[in-house]
Amino acid sequence: MIAPFFESGLFSETASLAVALLIGIGFGWFLERSGMGSARKLAGQFYLRDLTVFKVMFTAIITAMLGVFWLGWAGVLDLDRIFVPETWILPQLAGGILFGIGFAISGLCPGTSCVAAATGRIDGVAVVVGMFSGVLVTGLFFTKLANFYLSTARGVFTLPQLFHVDQGVIVLAVVLLGVGGFQLAELIEKRSAGTSSE
Amino acid sequence: MIRASAVRLLAIGATSLGVLAAVAGSPRKDSSPSIDVAALARDVQTEADHVTAIELARWIRDRKPNLRIIDIRDSAEFARYHVPQAERLPIEEVVKASFNPGETIVLYSGGGAHAAQAWVLLRTRGEKNVFFLRGGVSEWLDEVMNPQAPAHLSGQARDEADSVAALSRYFGGVPRQVDSAVPIQSFKAATARVRGRGC
Repeated sequence: MIAPFFESGLFSETASLAVALLIGIGFGWFLERSGMGSARKLAGQFYLRDLTVFKVMFTAIITAMLGVFWLGWAGVLDLDRIFVPETWILPQLAGGILFGIGFAISGLCPGTSCVAAATGRIDGVAVVVGMFSGVLVTGLFFTKLANFYLSTARGVFTLPQLFHVDQGVIVLAVVLLGVGGFQLAELIEKRSAGTSSE
Repeated sequence: MIRASAVRLLAIGATSLGVLAAVAGSPRKDSSPSIDVAALARDVQTEADHVTAIELARWIRDRKPNLRIIDIRDSAEFARYHVPQAERLPIEEVVKASFNPGETIVLYSGGGAHAAQAWVLLRTRGEKNVFFLRGGVSEWLDEVMNPQAPAHLSGQARDEADSVAALSRYFGGVPRQVDSAVPIQSFKAATARVRGRGC
């Protein structure tokens, strides 16, 4: 587990593994209960039929973001200890495109494919097997990919740094994006339900 | 209807917290780092500011967790040769980059001067786990890739020389045993080497 509890020494390594297991079970449970184990539901967002994925994602993002911001502001959470993944522009762009293609074709992403596999869906199992084979193959050919993999490195690079604004401004922008997106999503869903019933 | 009003309430709540966040600005209480010049001086005095090439090589070999090796030379020099696992980041990028807590940063340049300057800049910016490679790439080439030890050693000195030789071979280096009475290199070669050093 990464920051902040493990970093601040609150948990031992074993305890942090136990906590990670609990969080993982909880995560899987809620993914499944919100219908994310179904490739049909996930693919629905690409046809603008069902934007549940978008809504669930943005609800999670906004909740976590506001929580992190205000807990940091109140001094409960040390934001400097939170792990921020680094940026490699081109390789991540390429990875994102590949990921998007895979997502649209299979109708599953890494987390939901595990959920789908756990509930016995064959397509979920196929995606999980494919995903780990891909990881293995990448690992085997890593020396050939390393140059590209490590190119256009920007280190830890965040939106406030990119736009030269305070973190709070980004928080507001993402909240507005989320709330606006929610409205739009409901509208699109209503319209799509209207056309399909005609 | 209950669901719709609950959703509306959540949306209003999130939006107000977002607006307040924009007003609050930064979630960090005090972000201006204070410079403890005495602590910097102490680290220089106790030599806690740098690593030797051998130490760095051991860190790499032993896979020291969260180690980041940063080459601040230009891309041509980096392409010609760099320390394994190093990433290139020009000095003006280094001072702007943010590092994760827990990362050990080792800076190096051709000689030692530029990396030492980058070290000071990063320390004044508040980074704690920063080191520079004392003699830069030159030291790496001399001490790790081409170490020379006198042929007639015994005891602890022998063990140390053997350990360095093993380390060198790990990195594909060529450790040599020399007769210490004979001058190692010609004057011309030595001068050329020093000239190539730069900063």
